[in-house]
Amino acid sequence: MTKLITAFALFVITFLSAQGQQAVTPATAGQFEQGMGKAFGLWKEGKNTEASDLFERIAAVETTTWLPNYYVALVNTTSAFGTKDKEKIKVLLSKAQTALDTEMVKDQNNAELYVMQAMINTAWIVYDPMTNGQKLSGSTMELYAKAEAIAPNNPRVVFSKAEFEIGGAKFWGRDTKPMCAQIDKAIGLFSTFQPETAFSPSWGLDRALVAQRNCK
Amino acid sequence: MKSIITFIILFFAASAFSQTTISGKTLDKKGKPIAGANIYIDGTYDGATTNENGQFSFTTTTTGNQILIASFLVYESFKVTIDVANFQDKTIVLKESSNTLDAVVISAGTMESGDKARVSVLKPLDIVTTAGSAGNIIAALQTLPGTQSVGEDGRLFVRGGEANETQTFVDGIRVAQPYNATIGNVPTRGRFSPFLFSGIAFSTGGFSAEYGEALSSVLLLNTEDNPDQNKTEVSLMTVGLGLGNTQKWKKSSLSLNASYINLAPYQAAIPQNLDWNSPFQSLSGELVYRYNFNNGILKVYAAFDSSKMDINQENINGPEKIRVDLNNNNFYFNTSYNGRFGTGWQVVTGMSYGYSKNQIGLDLDNVNNDENAAHLKLKIKKNFSNYFKLLVGGDYFISKFDENFVPNLGITKTNGYNSNIAAAYTEADILFSKKLAAKVGFRASYNDLLAESTISPRISMAYKIAKNSQFSIAYGDFSQSPSVDYIKYSKYHQFQSEKASHYILNFQYSKDNQTFRAEAYYKDYSNLVKYDTQAIAYNSVFNNEGSAYAKGLDIFWRDGKTIKNLEYWLSYSFIDTKRDYKNFPTAVTPSFVANHTLSLVTKYFITDWRSQVGFTNSFSSGRPYNNPNETQFMNGKTKVYNNLSFNWAYLISPQKILYFSVSNVLGTQNVYGYDYAKNPDVNGIYNRRAITPTADRFFFVGFFWTISKDKKDNQLKNL
Repeated sequence: MTKLITAFALFVITFLSAQGQQAVTPATAGQFEQGMGKAFGLWKEGKNTEASDLFERIAAVETTTWLPNYYVALVNTTSAFGTKDKEKIKVLLSKAQTALDTEMVKDQNNAELYVMQAMINTAWIVYDPMTNGQKLSGSTMELYAKAEAIAPNNPRVVFSKAEFEIGGAKFWGRDTKPMCAQIDKAIGLFSTFQPETAFSPSWGLDRALVAQRNCK
Repeated sequence: MKSIITFIILFFAASAFSQTTISGKTLDKKGKPIAGANIYIDGTYDGATTNENGQFSFTTTTTGNQILIASFLVYESFKVTIDVANFQDKTIVLKESSNTLDAVVISAGTMESGDKARVSVLKPLDIVTTAGSAGNIIAALQTLPGTQSVGEDGRLFVRGGEANETQTFVDGIRVAQPYNATIGNVPTRGRFSPFLFSGIAFSTGGFSAEYGEALSSVLLLNTEDNPDQNKTEVSLMTVGLGLGNTQKWKKSSLSLNASYINLAPYQAAIPQNLDWNSPFQSLSGELVYRYNFNNGILKVYAAFDSSKMDINQENINGPEKIRVDLNNNNFYFNTSYNGRFGTGWQVVTGMSYGYSKNQIGLDLDNVNNDENAAHLKLKIKKNFSNYFKLLVGGDYFISKFDENFVPNLGITKTNGYNSNIAAAYTEADILFSKKLAAKVGFRASYNDLLAESTISPRISMAYKIAKNSQFSIAYGDFSQSPSVDYIKYSKYHQFQSEKASHYILNFQYSKDNQTFRAEAYYKDYSNLVKYDTQAIAYNSVFNNEGSAYAKGLDIFWRDGKTIKNLEYWLSYSFIDTKRDYKNFPTAVTPSFVANHTLSLVTKYFITDWRSQVGFTNSFSSGRPYNNPNETQFMNGKTKVYNNLSFNWAYLISPQKILYFSVSNVLGTQNVYGYDYAKNPDVNGIYNRRAITPTADRFFFVGFFWTISKDKKDNQLKNL
């Protein structure tokens, strides 16, 4: 489990550098773009609470886009992976869950939201593997199955699912080759993946490359 | 004129682009700064997060009157209309929200399990991974403090109360026959398979006015709201077979399971202390259907089982054994709806119907009885605020019982009763602050068979002394109509309800996978039924003049933190009780009570072996028994009882589990009590026979296989 936590701490860093390019927003951009850009900037500076709060404020105004709440969930979940304080983890994950629930109700056809929910579940599993491992691994796999049905070629879906399965396969002493093949596939998909907007999720490639190295 | 217009335009343009600074600080009620609060102007992105000193400052392009919002997870959102031009260096005081994870919850009496429980004493998996429980909900609960382990009976005995003083509810609706039918000195088990329930609350006293017709305790089982996925489950066991299937649709789901149990192979392999003509056999099935509406959930639960056994029971009163042949058919149906409407309204309604038919052959005589029991329930709850909730509800219980005693020679005797109980209750939940909460209510009921009405007040309070510690107190009056053994003779005697009052003081500490509970209680019984014959019969002279007390201390400690991969809990109960009821000449400690009970349950997960190994040790001090050779009533005491059980679950693959368990590893020769002859022998001595377990050991080997698409889920929870 310690390995998983370290892996996620690393993931946060790589994620931020990937999103960093988008944080530079042209002065001509609208209010939404400016606000989102500023929030990414805060996140990059490590001001997680400030970033989450700004995403939350944007979410309260822009009710037609799922992105601000998605990032509220992502910021808080990644913060939870980097925290050791159990009480704080609970608070962060419940905040992430609330934000995600708001969007999940509006749209049950968004693969990125399912991946996000699966990540929150993974954080709960790390929080208490003995209790939550049994309880949540089944539903987490179900979430990935749903995400895959919606977006079979989304690199985050393919990669996150494979990474989650590797954890299980290692425990059972099973061959991780099929999952590694999926990671290779995900890396290919990252290169062709076109985010719908400048702020749509685009993270994951760096983390997938690390996972690919671990496969060898 | 033109210049004036230009001036105005310029003025507005300038103000439109001007930025106003909003600043101040956020404090809690005690004046301490709150860091990390989100302060913003409603409908804009303009806002800031407070720093360590609670300070915030941001600029806004809005003007005039705006709504300022301050929000922080554990505090209530604060909204105020401000004039942006004039909001600098202001102080905002946030009130702690009562609706948060760390608000006080009354814990007197009740031990909870499941996801919704704040402090989980048992986890859902525990029911089945506790060594010695063998998938029996009741056996797992017997490792909690406040319970007595009465090995020859198997039912729940709580704090000096008889087994029938505990009432069982599924999704809030009563289960009239929660145990499998059995015969004297052969222990029973709970009817329900544990894996359909996601939450269990077990109250050993002082419970809510919502529950009535229980003198000692209530056991609340809640079926799972949403199964995780479609799956098929197969179990192959040394004692039988099981098959289950779950189908899930968009808004609804259906779970079905069936099992066939036959103890013949086990009884052939392990020496038995009983002489079996035909082993215990049962065929049972359960069904749960759930439908999710936008604002509520409808659940239907149905269970059927049919069981039989046939033994020759030793009889101390004669050289011949008595043949007892039991056939039982049981059906239980329950439907409930739990929904929300309007603002803060909640409605829970439902009904249950239970039917149980026993055919018992006693040598050449026969006893046939059947019981029909129904419960109708309606409960409405209104959340006026986080600080005040009000509950109003009603129950209607219908019971009809008929028994025929058909002797080989002579005429059939018929007994029975019809009873209707109507009850109404109300209860208020008041949260004075995050630290102090109270629940005040009462229950009024009318029983037509007993022609009596009762009013039972209930009150409980909790006070949080520190972040993880709290005290709770509870007081309540409880009443219950006498057991069927008595009221089936209602045509000969007008019975009254039996009564009890509970006084409870509880301390609870809970942090990070560690829970400590200590509870002291005093219970005062009155109106208990007494009779004057050796056994209960139609011609006994009954009265309701019995009384009893029980006082004691229950300690519980659970720890899943100190040692990696080890979970354990320790329960200790001390009880001092005397009861003057039945045909007792004086008040004495009844034979089902041991003064000291200690259980230690351990579970250790060995990752490399993919195994969970568990030990449970149950110990209790000797129990009283009455020796008619002595002048003093109930003066005997059995030797101490000890049982060490072991189990091992091995995960063959993610969906295949091999499970092994054995009880009484040490082979302790336990004695539960003694049966004495009704009449002395030629030397004037009353002979006796020890009541012992039906076998010294119980072995169980099972293979559990789950078939599902994701290939992850398994039946660990069924074990």
